[in-house]
Amino acid sequence: MDNTAKRLLQRLVRRIPSQMLKTTLDKWSRLTAAQRQSMDYTESKWALTEKLLAICEENELTVKHIAELEMIHVIENPNLGMWYVFQLMDPQDDAHSVELTQFKEQFKSHLSELIRHVSIKIKKHTDEAVWIRIAWGDTFSRPNHLKPTYVVHYLQTPYVFLTSPTSKQKPLLSQALVLSTRYQAIKDANLSGRKLTAIRDLLMKQYLQVFPTKFPSPLAERNCVVSNLHIEKEQAGSAANRHQMACEAFGDGILPQLQSAVYKLETKFRDHTNKTMTERDEPFKCVVKFASTNLLESLRHSASSGVASTPVTPLLSSVPLKGKNYFVITDNGPGPSSQMKPSQK
Amino acid sequence: MCALSEGVLSHLSLLEVQARSRKSRLQQQSRVMELKAKVEALKTQREQLKAQIQTHQVWGLMVAECDFRSLLACCNPLFFPALFYLLISSGGYDIIKTRKGKGACVSIATAYEDVFLDTFNLEIDLKPTVKINRHNIPPFIPLNNLAEQNNMQTDLRVFLDTLSQHLNAFAGRKQQLKLVKEKHKSVEVMESNVLCSLLVLLFTVPREKTAVLCTLDYTDHTRCLPTRVHLESEDKQLPDSPQWEKNCSLLMETPVHKALITMKKMGSIV
Repeated sequence: MDNTAKRLLQRLVRRIPSQMLKTTLDKWSRLTAAQRQSMDYTESKWALTEKLLAICEENELTVKHIAELEMIHVIENPNLGMWYVFQLMDPQDDAHSVELTQFKEQFKSHLSELIRHVSIKIKKHTDEAVWIRIAWGDTFSRPNHLKPTYVVHYLQTPYVFLTSPTSKQKPLLSQALVLSTRYQAIKDANLSGRKLTAIRDLLMKQYLQVFPTKFPSPLAERNCVVSNLHIEKEQAGSAANRHQMACEAFGDGILPQLQSAVYKLETKFRDHTNKTMTERDEPFKCVVKFASTNLLESLRHSASSGVASTPVTPLLSSVPLKGKNYFVITDNGPGPSSQMKPSQK
Repeated sequence: MCALSEGVLSHLSLLEVQARSRKSRLQQQSRVMELKAKVEALKTQREQLKAQIQTHQVWGLMVAECDFRSLLACCNPLFFPALFYLLISSGGYDIIKTRKGKGACVSIATAYEDVFLDTFNLEIDLKPTVKINRHNIPPFIPLNNLAEQNNMQTDLRVFLDTLSQHLNAFAGRKQQLKLVKEKHKSVEVMESNVLCSLLVLLFTVPREKTAVLCTLDYTDHTRCLPTRVHLESEDKQLPDSPQWEKNCSLLMETPVHKALITMKKMGSIV
């Protein structure tokens, strides 16, 4: 095993918690039963690493095999790291009938044509996601397995999820993706997050959305038990109203976990008490960032508790509605500040 | 004299009692038959209603609830006929007005084989133009394409009908895949996709244990049945055999989970 393979393995064993190491190694199935039996998972990570290195040497495994192990780990733990969403645009007529084998062949051949040295591994997961691991090289150097890019795509949907795309790799990756999915273009979808499952659920509409119905609240009990006739909740009606509007804007139940929403403002300064700023011609550039462990739940709570005014402003409700958490706000024509609308960029 | 009359009279009264009870038994019997007939009639009615539900005719619109006169009054006169048809027809979806007639919310229910599946919703702006505001339809259903192709602006009903077709067909195909995975563990699902428009199954022939790869292409996304069935096997003769040609047409005409039951019964697959 060469140095890269050793380093990759060391890094992996460091990352994977001991309790999970056993199952991950079993899934990898590159070790014999005897070898698997010989691993003692109560030992220190250092000891485990040494043991595993010896076994891999024995089996003559290469960096490609270790990359497989890494891929298994990442697929099982998609909510670590940072994911960025891209959207495919303008499907061709046959985009809807692209099937797995065709996509795999096309992607591999297109990307290999664009870069001399690249290592591509494609795997289909049980939830229909196609996972791609790419180790990038260039004309003079072999693929770097220590800095791979992961790509996740669901066929017949326009979304592609990427980890850490660099500015050099992005255009090559975009080209290969566009050609193999039979679309005509790809653009940044302005959505990112640490949890792949959360941004995927948001875009695939896999969370509970609330729509206006004839009977928004459950029918009242006939013999309702009133705790104390002398206590009246004056705000009950408006609280229920706010809650309904908050749920319609963001959803009900557990919401996909987004960590932030960023608004880049390129609008004119509008506080009339500050003449120096309002007199300037150029827009006042400013970035507003909302951060939370679960941004959508925080926003919903602010709306239902009255902190954010209801009906919910489109600036906030656009996050789940458009499936974005990065917005550039510009002034669209003259008028009062209430006319600010998020523009797509 | 007494003993004699006792004997005859008691015999007569016994006969009378027997006759009376026979009558009441007959009455009871006829009552039972009446009720049985009623049960049959109700069962038939239930089957009829079930069939109607299946053809989406019982789902009415909440016309009675909403003041559709005022809703129509708020509408663009060009749009009037479309909305009028929509409110009267029962195309398998519900619609309610929102925001004082400026918007509408459509609820499309999906069902397959008497089982209700997911419900999809669309919030639509009616003024100034017909525009889809928000929805929970998954991205592999080409909503915008359907809206364009079916002239959503001028004929909302046709658009909703087509959308309902797509969604119901998708729900049906998805349900079939679920049933194949649950009820046919001996058949391996090699490939499927989120739209359920492609299914590749691996069959095992009994005795020889030959593998047969079966590809089902559902290119018509408004249908629950495949448009193409393709068989491949290590045994090159197998796909052309009469038994397997029959299986091929069976798979074209019957929902896959049901076709597999038949194929197992016929001994084609394990």
